[in-house]
Amino acid sequence: MIQHPAILALLTSSFIISGMLISASWFGKQILSSWDLSSGSELQLALERRTYLISTLISYALFFQIFSLFLFIHTAEDLHTSFTGAMCAAGTLAVNSSGYPTLILKMLNCTLAGVWLIINHADIRGYDYPLIKPKYLLLNLLALLILIETVLQFSFFLRLKGDVITSCCGSLFSSDTAGFSGNIASLPHTVMQPLFFAAMAATIGCAVLFMRKRKGAYLFSITSTVTFFIAAASLLSFICLYYYELPSHHCPFCILQQEYGFTGYLLYATLLGGAVTGIGVGVLHPFTACASLKLVIPALQRKLIVATMVLYLLFFLLTADRMIFSNLRLVY
Amino acid sequence: MIELSRVSKIFNSGKPSQYAAVSDVSLTIEQGCITVLKGPSGSGKTTLLSLIGCMSRPSSGRITLRRMEPDVPAGQLVDLEVTSLPERFLTNIRRSTFGFIFQQFNLIKGISTLENIMLPAYPTGQNLAPVKQRAVELLELLSIGRHANAPVEWLSGGELQRVAIARALINDPAAIIADEPTAHLDSRLSVEFMEILGTLKGAGKTVLIASHDPVVFESLLADRVVEMRDGQITGASAR
Repeated sequence: MIQHPAILALLTSSFIISGMLISASWFGKQILSSWDLSSGSELQLALERRTYLISTLISYALFFQIFSLFLFIHTAEDLHTSFTGAMCAAGTLAVNSSGYPTLILKMLNCTLAGVWLIINHADIRGYDYPLIKPKYLLLNLLALLILIETVLQFSFFLRLKGDVITSCCGSLFSSDTAGFSGNIASLPHTVMQPLFFAAMAATIGCAVLFMRKRKGAYLFSITSTVTFFIAAASLLSFICLYYYELPSHHCPFCILQQEYGFTGYLLYATLLGGAVTGIGVGVLHPFTACASLKLVIPALQRKLIVATMVLYLLFFLLTADRMIFSNLRLVY
Repeated sequence: MIELSRVSKIFNSGKPSQYAAVSDVSLTIEQGCITVLKGPSGSGKTTLLSLIGCMSRPSSGRITLRRMEPDVPAGQLVDLEVTSLPERFLTNIRRSTFGFIFQQFNLIKGISTLENIMLPAYPTGQNLAPVKQRAVELLELLSIGRHANAPVEWLSGGELQRVAIARALINDPAAIIADEPTAHLDSRLSVEFMEILGTLKGAGKTVLIASHDPVVFESLLADRVVEMRDGQITGASAR
């Protein structure tokens, strides 16, 4: 099974990205220990020259890291026919103990990679490398997490055996199932539905506040992050039900299938993208005082807020469409 | 004012062919003055000019532009240390802060004198009409207005030199950098060239010339002559 083209692509890219990040974090260690912009030493000038090249190369690697999350989900989805009992990616990921940890770590790394790309985007627009140390601190953390992810992913794919009987999504994401997924799936739609609309409205409110009064960056960031979690929980709790038109099927993976027009990919991409850009607004805010970024960061924050709103709005419209036109009606 | 602090430029560092073109140079180039870098071939004059003009980066040391208001996206800054700047910022600074006059003039054949002068202004995104107006004014100022529409290959050596000066001035830079500007001129034209630079100095421009031509470094218009040998400053005299 490890010879599956998508698995080979994922493993190869993970090894390459891990290698690049380890070498970049070694360079980052030099930056964190020796960086001194007031010095004109040969080492300092060499670091200045190399950081630009390394940032550019790492940016491309992290773009692929983000893309690899979706390739991983698609691969898990594609492989589910090989396992007895699996109905979708949920079953594939449950084949061994590394599946879900890999997915969760990939999602975390995808978010952190997005935040790193935002920080890097701001940093290279400042003439005096204003975010260089936070950027490399985050890169070092990211290198460690991506390395763990690579090991977990390798372990997951290596231990995929076709004769394993796995669980189906119906049992994994049932409101009767004990555990985290069961608890989320059993959240009542009477609570989650108003909460979902309220969270979306609060994010829009915070965006308007920032655009009009230039304040509330942290508030927007926190609100958009909370909205991400509420929307993700809502997806399991009631949004899925409208897609499947089944009152008891809460699987977050079946919507990735052709039967549902691959809508799941769009839903997850918009939700995760909105969260990353929303977090970016708050992450950049402490650096507004930097002289070299005083014009760059406010403009970038506005763009990030617009991006968050567009992505969340798209998520909202996709789900609202199903809530209105689905044959299923949830009663209060 | 341009301030150099312990600037070195080493080519092929760490290899057997390692060569120090500029070694540990500290220098202050005053604003609104003509400074001449004097020295034999291979003394590091051109390398030092290229470092000051942000065309190459030093191996160590810092160069700071003081009170020259270089154009960077963070707004107009009074002072800016340029050696640490990424390339994206250096492009703007080369365009807006420095005007370059090269030994070979480097004018483009096949296009008119006026177009040659206007070329450095195109990437700045300014409207064409004011740029053209400024180019015509510069041609008049340098007494070559009659050649505006003539291809540059029709011009004499002295006229080519003036076109090169006009081109260096089109973006109204704070500093003019000239590398062996009189190498292809006779004595009379060299004196004329120095007189033009004297006019620019009067207009508040900082002028930096690398030359081993006595007409340049013995000129009374030069405020300071810095002598170089083997990549190091061996002497400096103020007028």
